[in-house]
Order: sequence, then structure tokens, then C-alpha cells
Amino acid sequence: MSMKFFAGAVTGALLTATALTPARAADMTNERALNPQREPQNWILHHGNYQGHRFSLLKEINTDNVKNLKPVFTVALGGLQSGGRYAFGNLEATPLVEDGIMYVPDGWGSVYAIDVSAGKKGVIKWKMDPGTDRAWAGDVACCGVNNRGVALWKDKVISIALDGRMFAINKATGEVAWERKVADPALGETLTIAPLVIRDLAIVGAAGGEFGIRGYIDATDLNTGKAAWRTYTIPGAGEPGNETWKDGKERWKHGGGSVWETATYDPESDTFYQGVGNAGPDWDPEYRAGDNKWAASVLALSPNDGKIKWGYQYTPNDPYDYDEISEHPIINAKVNGEDRKLVVHAARNGYFYALDRINGSFIAGKQYTYEMNWTPGLDPKTGRPLNYNPNADVQVYTEGTHGSRARPKSDKLCPAHTGGKNWEPTAYNPQLGLLYIPSIEGCDYIETVPQKDFVDQGGTVRPRERFSGGATVIRERLYGSLKAVDPATGELKADLKLTYPNYSGALATAGNLVFIGGVDGTFSAHDAKTLKELWSFNTGTGINAPPISYAVNGKQYIAVLVGSRQSQNVIPFSPELKNTSTASMLFVFSL
Amino acid sequence: MKAVMKDRSIRLAVALAAGALFAPVHALAQAQSSAEEARLIEFGKEIFKSKAVCQYCHKWDASGDQGYGGNALSLRATQLTPEQMTEVVKCGRPGTGMPYHDRFAYTDKRCYGYTREEMGKDMPPAGNDFLSNREVDAVVKYLFAKDVGKGPATYEDCVDFWGKDTKQCDPMKK
Repeated sequence: MSMKFFAGAVTGALLTATALTPARAADMTNERALNPQREPQNWILHHGNYQGHRFSLLKEINTDNVKNLKPVFTVALGGLQSGGRYAFGNLEATPLVEDGIMYVPDGWGSVYAIDVSAGKKGVIKWKMDPGTDRAWAGDVACCGVNNRGVALWKDKVISIALDGRMFAINKATGEVAWERKVADPALGETLTIAPLVIRDLAIVGAAGGEFGIRGYIDATDLNTGKAAWRTYTIPGAGEPGNETWKDGKERWKHGGGSVWETATYDPESDTFYQGVGNAGPDWDPEYRAGDNKWAASVLALSPNDGKIKWGYQYTPNDPYDYDEISEHPIINAKVNGEDRKLVVHAARNGYFYALDRINGSFIAGKQYTYEMNWTPGLDPKTGRPLNYNPNADVQVYTEGTHGSRARPKSDKLCPAHTGGKNWEPTAYNPQLGLLYIPSIEGCDYIETVPQKDFVDQGGTVRPRERFSGGATVIRERLYGSLKAVDPATGELKADLKLTYPNYSGALATAGNLVFIGGVDGTFSAHDAKTLKELWSFNTGTGINAPPISYAVNGKQYIAVLVGSRQSQNVIPFSPELKNTSTASMLFVFSL
Repeated sequence: MKAVMKDRSIRLAVALAAGALFAPVHALAQAQSSAEEARLIEFGKEIFKSKAVCQYCHKWDASGDQGYGGNALSLRATQLTPEQMTEVVKCGRPGTGMPYHDRFAYTDKRCYGYTREEMGKDMPPAGNDFLSNREVDAVVKYLFAKDVGKGPATYEDCVDFWGKDTKQCDPMKK
């Protein structure tokens, strides 16, 4: 074959390929990431926008016509394999949609590019299976086989897998351009968080707060696939905050502070706000005397270098496992007539907090759960629990609400160790000025077991072994609620009690609707002002993932992943759900 | 009536104390496995590993663990007989997170002589999946064949449980 003929053949093939390939979606740029409101037909960031609002500007579906909403297609996904301590993978991801293509992972980290442009069916264009070492990763996953989503960057999809790897995937073909080992399951670390891409950095954090990790936030340079910086959430010797580990035995080295839900980002000050998990061991606070910064906290950090600007701790020396990894929405509001820049948080400890996002000072706090007994309230000036004792190394909050070495079995703890609100994200309607909190309601119990030391500190506990200082016991049925609060004050504006704890998170839309999913498979739409249920559809198995909205050819759709491991906190006392089978499905609805 | 009360109190006490004491290896563990028994043991492993996910709380080697499943006892160190363990698997452990796996547990007096009403706040939770008698027999046979009365698990035990296609057992390599 002559070179001339070969060149001609190649050119012809390229032309044919071009003609047959749909127009390539635009590259994801920083400009687009900063302005998702310019393309409301797409859902291009994990929380809808950097500010963490999970608010869609689409309003074709609204309070008047939502009663006509119906499922228009479903797509079966994979990820149901067993691995480690789990019989199958979960679905907890928020899908991204860009120009009619949806990008979404299953629990084991396979990423699917689904063409949803036809509006009548979804066609899986490609699937990237990372070949996760399921036994190795699944044995050190505390709470299921989870992956909360992917990110877009230039012409790539950025994803993670439970076994600690990050991937850059060609958006058009599904081919992996590079992968990087970020977290190490050999140390009990896993990745479940959807990456936060700011400019050319992908920011994630390690889960493993029940396995003796020292938590961190980690940035990858997406141009090179190499590490950019890593900031430990538990300060090391000599770093500010390390003095709050008063045990004298360097227990900060296994101090927890895991990170497993995506941060929010304020472009104005170039600061991102990362929630941080529980101190380790969870339920033996005497093992780790001191306030244990920055566990159960929020950190404000610079994306360029990971430097901590400020931190605020919600539950010092937390004896409950009230970790605060979940989202911190960025909201501007008037407080006492004054314009304030807020970062807010519906905390696992049952309180809503509004902080000044410039300096981390406390502005407002209010109980949002029905039941609360671990503290009588928050200090109006500092937001500290009222029964916090600044002179004590080990906190004793309300007597009996947590275990101790002297009295290992607690009485009832409200809210339960699950929260309050767990990772499942809130949604914010800026047009109504309301924040929607999907909540877990009810109480449980704690049993403290004195924690043994790690082998590197002269003990017997090896890496990958559980390091939780006890256990939780559920003895009664948990339930749930959806609440609408004023984000400046936490004042309750509307309230809806739910039969089940909410494990899906919320979506708010400009159609004045709020969507949530239930563990019984009910997917429902609520009036954004009253929270009255206006529509529902039962998907037939539990929903543990947050919904999104997108549009194709001007038509609005609502999408949600369906099917999950049902929580051990729910099933034993909800016998009507006992025989629910799992599934791995995408459901899409429209008018 | 008194005798009945005494009997069920003893059975309950055994359940509550399950595994708290160390005991010599049970003879059954050393019994020669027939082909059918070998199949049943392999079936029991799948129950332990995936269907009932006993390993979530008890750890893959049944050495016990802590965390969200509760403070689960070591089955390697249990002194329960196979009959007693069968009852615990079917009926759970009252007052703890150990779930019951007999669909009809506590609907009559088959479990420690108590009904759900009589058990009150000590009623154990239901397992994620109920187990048939054959499945309960299999998981108990598996535990006595592989775990009960054994010393610390070895690398070979780990590979036997997880297979060779994972790094899971690497830390146990000598």
C-alpha cells in the first residue's frame, strides 16, 4: 500500500468518523464552572453550583403541573457485585448532565456516559470499569460501597474508585488518560467523594474515620495527574490545633477527621469550605482527651495551596460520631438588617449553623431535629454546646447520652449517631430564601469499649482494623422529616414529618418544587413554600441518591439513581421494607 | 411453670453470655467432612460472607469487631455448642444488635421461650435476610469447620476466604 493511498484512506476514515459522531460537547472550563446559571439545561457541578445550592433554574415542571409528572425512561446500571463486607454496591451519586449526555458512577466506581438526548430512552455510550479491588476496598468501607459522583474538566471526566484511585477519562470515548493513587486502603483509607474541580485542581478527601486514619484533603493537578498538595484535617505536631489533642500519646496520628462529601467554593474570596468527619476512635473520647480539632468541624481553605484560613468546630471532643462532612452552602443574606456573607450547615448534631464565611465567626444556630437531648442548646455568642466545659479535657455532655469507660452503655441519644442530617445534601431556593433539610429523626444508643492502641504506638491494632472505641445500637424505629429553614437564622418556615429517615438529599427548582427520594422507593415532589406533597411515584426499591434536573431540546427532566443497600439502621425496625430487593437503576421523569 | 421459666432463663443466659468465655475446640470442627458436608460448609461460607453478611459485624475471620454493627463477639472464642449457635443465629441475642434470622422468631415461643411482646425492649433486630433451616445449618457447620476454637487466622485462612485476586491478605503474609 502506497503512502499516498494510506493517507487518503486515513483521511476518509476520519471524515466518516466525524460525520457519524455527534458534535462534541464543549470543554468544561473555569468560566463555565463559575457560571452554571448560564446553562440551566445542564447540571455540570456536583452541587449544581459551587455554592452548594442544588437549585435548578428550570421551571417547566412547577407546582401547577407536577401532578402530571411521569417516568419516561429507566436505565439499568451495574455495580451490584459483592465485595469486602458488602453483598452489593450502592447508588449514592449525583449525576452530571452536559448537552444531553449524563455522566454517573456506580458504587464500585464504574463510570457510565448515558446519551439521554432522545428523551425516550437512555443509551449507555461507554462504561469505564476501573477494576476495583472489591474485597480489599470493601473490607475497610465503613458504611457501604459508595461513590457520590464525578466531575467535568476540559474534555475529561474526573472520577474516583473506592480503592483510592482517581481517573481522568476521555469524555468522548471513555478511555482512561491517567490514573493516580490518592488514598491507600492498606491504611484503611478509601475514596467515596465526588471530586471538586477548581481551575486545574481536583480536590477530594479520604474516608476511613472508623479505621484509624488521619484524615486529609488532597488536590491533584489535572494537567499532570500528579499530587498538588495535601492538607491533613488533624493538625500535626507544631501545627495550630494540635494542642487540642491532650492525650500526650500522639493519638492525633490516628485521629480520624475523614472527608467524604464535596466541599462548596466561594470564587469571590477563592475559598472552599470542607466539612470534616468524626474524631477517631468514635465512641471512646477518653482515649483522645482534648477538643480534637479539626474533627467534627468545617475548614475554610485556599484551593491553590490547601492552606487553612480558619476552622470552626461543631462538637468538641465528640463522643457521638457526629461527623460534619456534609455540604456547607454559601449564601448571602441580611442578618439584623446587615448584609452578611454566610456559610451554613445543617449539622449531624441536630443544629443548623450560620457562620460568617470570611472569618468563621458564629452568627446563628438553631435546633432543627424534633428530638434533641445531648445538649440543652448552643451558646448564643460562640455556638458552642451550652454544656461544653472549656476546662475539661474530656467533655461530658448531657449525662448518659454517650458512653464512657465508667459507664459504657449510654441511655438514649437524640438525634441518633446518624444525625440529624448525614451526608445527604440540602438544597437552597435563592428566590424564596429557603434551605431544605432532608433529615433523619429519632434516637439510638452507644456502647463504649476502651480503645486499644495501634501497633505503631505500641499496641495490637493493625492498619485496616476497626478503630471505633465501641459501637452503636439501634433499638427503635428511626423516621425522618423535610424542613424549610431561613438560612440566616435557622428559623423553621415549613415542616413535613416523613415515615422514613431521608437518605437521598434534596433538589430545589425554580418551579417552586423540592424533590426527595425515600428508602421505600417513593420519589416525591413538594411545594417549596409549604412542603406539602404534590406528586409521588414509587420506584419499587430504596432511593439513597440525590435527584437533579436538566433539559434537552427545551424539555425539562428530573433524574435520580434508584437502588441501594438498605440501611441496617432502618430495616430491622421497619418490617414492611424487609423483603425489598435492591436494584441499580436510573429513573428519569418529565411531563 | 417454674421449671419452664428456669429452662428459658438458662437458654437466655447462654445466649447473652455467648462467646464470653474461651473454650476448647469442639469435636465437630475436627470431624471428617463428607462430600455433602464439604458442600454445605462452602454454602455456609456464602451465607456468612454475602447473604447474611455476618462478616460485617463479626469480621471475615469471625474474630469479632466493633462499629456500626454493634460490639460483635468472637466466634473463634465462643463456647457455644452447634445447637446453641443455631438457636442464636435463628433467634438473635436479646438486648444486643445480633439479629434473628428465623422469619417466625418470637411469633411463638420457639426462641428462648419468649414472644415478641414478652421480650419487650430487649427484642433483637431482624436480620437483613431471613435464613432457611438449611442455610442456618450450613453457616453453623461453616463456623465450626473454619473458625470456632481456632487460633488467630492465618494468611492461608485469608486466601481461603477471599481468594487470590485481591490484596486483602497481603498484610498477613509472613
